[in-house]
Amino acid sequence: MGETIDPLEQARRDLGLSMAELWWRYFALGGSGTELELEAMLFQALMPAVTDRDVLAVALNERFSELGADHPIPYSDDEL
Amino acid sequence: MSDNVSDGFKLDIDSVGDRAVVAVSGALDAHAAVLFAGVLDAVVDTGSRSLVVDADGVTFIEAAALGVLVRVSRRMRESAGSFTLRSPSAVVQRALDANRVTELVDEVSEVSEARTTPEPRTTDVRDDEPRSGSGSREADLGLNVGPRSSTATVDAALRLVTALAETTVENADGVSVTLERHGRVMTVAASDDAVKEMDHHQYDTGEGPCLAAKAEGQWFYIESLAEETRWPNFVPLALEQGIRSILSSPLMTKDRPQGALNIYSSTERAFGTRQQELAALFAEQASEILTTAAPDETDEQVNLRLARALNERQVIHQAQGVVMERDNLSAEAAVSILHRAARAAGIRVADYANDIVSSVGRSEGKQ
Repeated sequence: MGETIDPLEQARRDLGLSMAELWWRYFALGGSGTELELEAMLFQALMPAVTDRDVLAVALNERFSELGADHPIPYSDDEL
Repeated sequence: MSDNVSDGFKLDIDSVGDRAVVAVSGALDAHAAVLFAGVLDAVVDTGSRSLVVDADGVTFIEAAALGVLVRVSRRMRESAGSFTLRSPSAVVQRALDANRVTELVDEVSEVSEARTTPEPRTTDVRDDEPRSGSGSREADLGLNVGPRSSTATVDAALRLVTALAETTVENADGVSVTLERHGRVMTVAASDDAVKEMDHHQYDTGEGPCLAAKAEGQWFYIESLAEETRWPNFVPLALEQGIRSILSSPLMTKDRPQGALNIYSSTERAFGTRQQELAALFAEQASEILTTAAPDETDEQVNLRLARALNERQVIHQAQGVVMERDNLSAEAAVSILHRAARAAGIRVADYANDIVSSVGRSEGKQ
């Protein structure tokens, strides 16, 4: 089956962050979607804008960083 | 979000065996999506192997509600069940196309096929045991939720869970939800008036399994009221009304009990392992609805959190302006610089932004 989990959603699960907790972080970083829109983005029902996706990546990376990991989620303009 | 949406949102559930049809109509906005998600999850959790969502009457759909459909369709397929989106309205079809939700489109059945299916009907799984007041059940399942009223939405969702529990849990003769609101314990959903009265007997006497479940955060099962020695004031009142067993499961938000889901039966030892598991599932669903719709934070805590978040947003926004001007960049490019610079410095974006803003403040102060 073509079951693919968005890497951001996978990271959220790995971190054990609730959708609400992630939303607060995303919102503090300037994200403008509602919590439900965030959920829709993570379940790939809504295409996030590039900047919104980066804000989410930052929100997750900052949580990784708090736990001692080094920003594993790439940003949109990172060299591949 | 669209504030000009004035037509309500309505759900009808028809559940027979392991097959469920959920007909949804009206506006599926963000509020409705929460309710919709709770209901679909409840249907899946209670063992439906085949779920049909009839979206013929949907007049408006927000991305969040699409997300719910995608998530639930995945859940069904992950558990080898089937999910069908039946006769989506033009609005839904456009949203599916616009969001490229192809996995759902694959499952869409033709409108013509849908038309041959009878209207959703609520089916009483205990046809052999008619009882007074059952005529109101269908009315209980049909929900009309006005827009923008989160308490009404929560109550409607709880009524739906209550009705679903009553039809699904074998031997259940009445189901209610007790909640503490504004410091008062009240019944916010009840399958009929007799059940409501049972709850009130508990509030009046200040004792009973529902209050105990709510106070202690664990479930209470009275197998036989006739043999029950706890709650000496409440039990005789329940016996008088023909109740023989009661199962109360706590509703939890975070780790705090907020209320209870109560299932009453006129049969002794009515609830075996299977029914207890179902009751736990429904209690979990009701808890989920409460947690999602009304977070377990005081207004003060939320305000504080909001103030902090807004403050950080503001600082980041200011720093973005500084970088835009300094490096002659677009807003997007400036934000991207902030993200990468903070990562390189190993600090939070908000802290990095704060450094930029305050250094500008200092140098301006010197001039």
